Amino acid sequence: MLGKGGKRKFDEHEDGLEGKIVSPSDGPSKVSYTLQRQTIFNISLMKLYNHRPLTEPSLQKTVLINNMLRRIQEELKQEGSLRPAFPASAPPAAAAADPLGSSSREAPPAFSQPAPAPCELGGAAALEACLTPASLLEDDDPDTFCTSSPAAPARLAPPALLPPEKDSFSSALDEIEELCPTSTSTEAAEADGPKGDSSSGGPGAPQRPEGLQEGGRPEDPKLMDSLPGNFEITASTGFLTDLTLDDILFADIDTSMYDFDPCTSASGTASKMSPVSADDLLKTLAPYSSQPVAPSQPFKMDLTELDHIMEVLVGS
Amino acid sequence: MVLQPAERHCGDWSHRRLGPWCSPTGSPAPLSCETGCGEGTWILVCRLLVPTQVSLLSMEEDIDTRKINNSFLRDHSYATEEHFRLASFSLPSSLLHWSKPPPSRTWTVVMTYQQDYLSPCLYPLSALSDIISTVEFNHTGELLATGDKGGRVVIFQREQESKNQVHRRGEYNVYSTFQSHEPEFDYLKSLEIEEKINKIRWLPQQNAAYFLLSTNDKTVKLWKVSERDKRPEGYNLKDEEGRLRDPATITTLRVPVLRPMDLMVEATPRRVFANAHTYHINSISVNSDYETYMSADDLRINLWNFEITNQSFNIVDIKPANMEELTEVITAAEFHPHHCNTFVYSSSKGTIRLCDMRASALCDRHTKFFEEPEDPSNRSFFSEIISSISDVKFSHSGRYIMTRDYLTVKVWDLNMENRPIETYQVHDYLRSKLCSLYENDCIFDKFECVWNGSDSVIMTGSYNNFFRMFDRNTKRDVTLEASRENSKPRAILKPRKVCVGGKRRKDEISVDSLDFSKKILHTAWHPSENIIAVAATNNLYIFQDKVN
Repeated sequence: MLGKGGKRKFDEHEDGLEGKIVSPSDGPSKVSYTLQRQTIFNISLMKLYNHRPLTEPSLQKTVLINNMLRRIQEELKQEGSLRPAFPASAPPAAAAADPLGSSSREAPPAFSQPAPAPCELGGAAALEACLTPASLLEDDDPDTFCTSSPAAPARLAPPALLPPEKDSFSSALDEIEELCPTSTSTEAAEADGPKGDSSSGGPGAPQRPEGLQEGGRPEDPKLMDSLPGNFEITASTGFLTDLTLDDILFADIDTSMYDFDPCTSASGTASKMSPVSADDLLKTLAPYSSQPVAPSQPFKMDLTELDHIMEVLVGS
Repeated sequence: MVLQPAERHCGDWSHRRLGPWCSPTGSPAPLSCETGCGEGTWILVCRLLVPTQVSLLSMEEDIDTRKINNSFLRDHSYATEEHFRLASFSLPSSLLHWSKPPPSRTWTVVMTYQQDYLSPCLYPLSALSDIISTVEFNHTGELLATGDKGGRVVIFQREQESKNQVHRRGEYNVYSTFQSHEPEFDYLKSLEIEEKINKIRWLPQQNAAYFLLSTNDKTVKLWKVSERDKRPEGYNLKDEEGRLRDPATITTLRVPVLRPMDLMVEATPRRVFANAHTYHINSISVNSDYETYMSADDLRINLWNFEITNQSFNIVDIKPANMEELTEVITAAEFHPHHCNTFVYSSSKGTIRLCDMRASALCDRHTKFFEEPEDPSNRSFFSEIISSISDVKFSHSGRYIMTRDYLTVKVWDLNMENRPIETYQVHDYLRSKLCSLYENDCIFDKFECVWNGSDSVIMTGSYNNFFRMFDRNTKRDVTLEASRENSKPRAILKPRKVCVGGKRRKDEISVDSLDFSKKILHTAWHPSENIIAVAATNNLYIFQDKVN
């Protein structure tokens, strides 16, 4: 039960989630830490990109939010590199294989797995969450954006994590705040809640990035002009480019997860993956691991990777 | 106009020599300065609404439906003090004694400067234009200036003491009001430039007129506020109405004489210092030499001479070559009160740099660097944001600086850079709410802090219209509330308490019922007496330490 440990002040009204952050070494509080980090990340992005001021936005506020985003990105990067056994790569790989919608269902089942490392799965979801906003926002060219947007954002679960209105977001925040006093399993189940709700708008998912894009596009020139040096946009691309699909998905694949039935079979379409052996996957994916991926290329890379996987499937 | 440090020979200040080569002599007026905050009690002197027409029509505040009495405005014909007071408040003289209870009706003063307040269409002001954005006493404490979000400056003047009502001090009445800044549009960036007054700083008085600097995000202006109570009469070429006379009808010559007229206070802009800041100006500070001042924006600090408006020296520039690498901005800056070569500026990372202008023209290398190492037990996602310093103030003695970050006020000794000598928790109960405060942007609120005249008490604002005072000597602190509901004139302010958890005692407020939209960001303390001005949204409260 969270909130009763020695590191936290006991207060039945206090939001354990918002209290002092314990180090992510504790099991159950790791999830809450990741949840909070994710929440803050999303809030920060919303602040930066959904704000439409008539006057120039405050530079101090922008700098502080950017620093927050950078820190979270650094942490995620460190976590990504610290964990060679990356069980969460199965869901993303599966997600990559599947076109629409199912990927959003990937995240909740992956997330609801008891132990092996719920935080890591959360980390993967978080990483995916990083990726979509980055890929959405890195691409300044509206044309490329339009063509790639239906495919890529739907493939990656995270738009589901960016709620359209603040209301649903605050309710998600409230749900997260309620999470902490409860047990881990309840937590995970409740964590399904916001994600499930958003992902149920699966068909809505492709629309939302476009909405974001539309909201972003007239905004982008304004933001880019108002802050010298395209401070906001390029800063975000600057720090999020490092976190490419390559690094996260293909760096160190733990092949054991491909045999992990609950993980792969939990999602309906992941069953397609079961006949594929881990070695085959490694072979197909290995060529990509050394490629440096430019920001606009992840989508193209997904397509070629899909082809390869289809070949493998058909071949066997 | 050339400002020279000069001896003043009027009023109480003749014993003071102003100039950078000496420190001000004379101690602040004794009174209750030394009693500190815990031992005295505070009473409400008056509550003033920043005058706009729209405050009557505002949907945010309760509309005060009492009739407006314009007669107390100085522009009008009430020249004498007696007449002034009686006309405005209509109080029987017996009630003017200190010990008598106040009349049952609250004498909250609602003022408007548009004579015809019944035709709102003539004055399309936004409903928010009367939020007070800065408060500042002048060097004698006789005048109190407020700036608001609508670009207006209102100056209040303290009532003069008279022999009859020697206890009726501490009341401030409107002295002058003028529109300092107008909204502008930056065509290059397609963005509005707000007319909100960010800061007002007074210049020390050199002659009969008063001078102040007021600034919005981009432009600093020097205003002269002067009184006129005489006018020349008896011109030869003009008649009494001002029409030109036919020279052929003039048969005699006369010398015009100055005759008394109704007192008029006029404000004229004397200098406009524009186009020097790319980013938003957050601070201005008058140097102790009274010839220069500095203006600081997010990335640069400029040094100006009062006489020269088309040039300024850039003395600090922290803009990186690549804007993507920007991680720190300047948040506040101030000159040392006595050393005209020294100034400090604070940053969004919780650091303070002291610079000496004698070292180099561009003071990018600091002389001293003040930073407190982070407390590892308090680390959170928001550590950096809450460490961002929102205000920095030198003590009157010049030996200490005070900084305000989101949750604390810190006092630093200039001689010790590695940590502050005192830290005061303003509202530590918010530490567990930082995520919500981040979401609703309250975490970015910029609270100011002030010293009292003797540097023994410091004051700063909080939420729910609370403000806090800390006595540095007795280590006692008090929380007071500036609100309309429980503030009758001469009412004694009751200390408030926020309960953090567990049982809530009577009169305590729980953290969850705090109103975060009611924040006190701007306060001011009289330079020599225990009179404070507190700005709560669009209300200005003036409190005085009750002398028994």
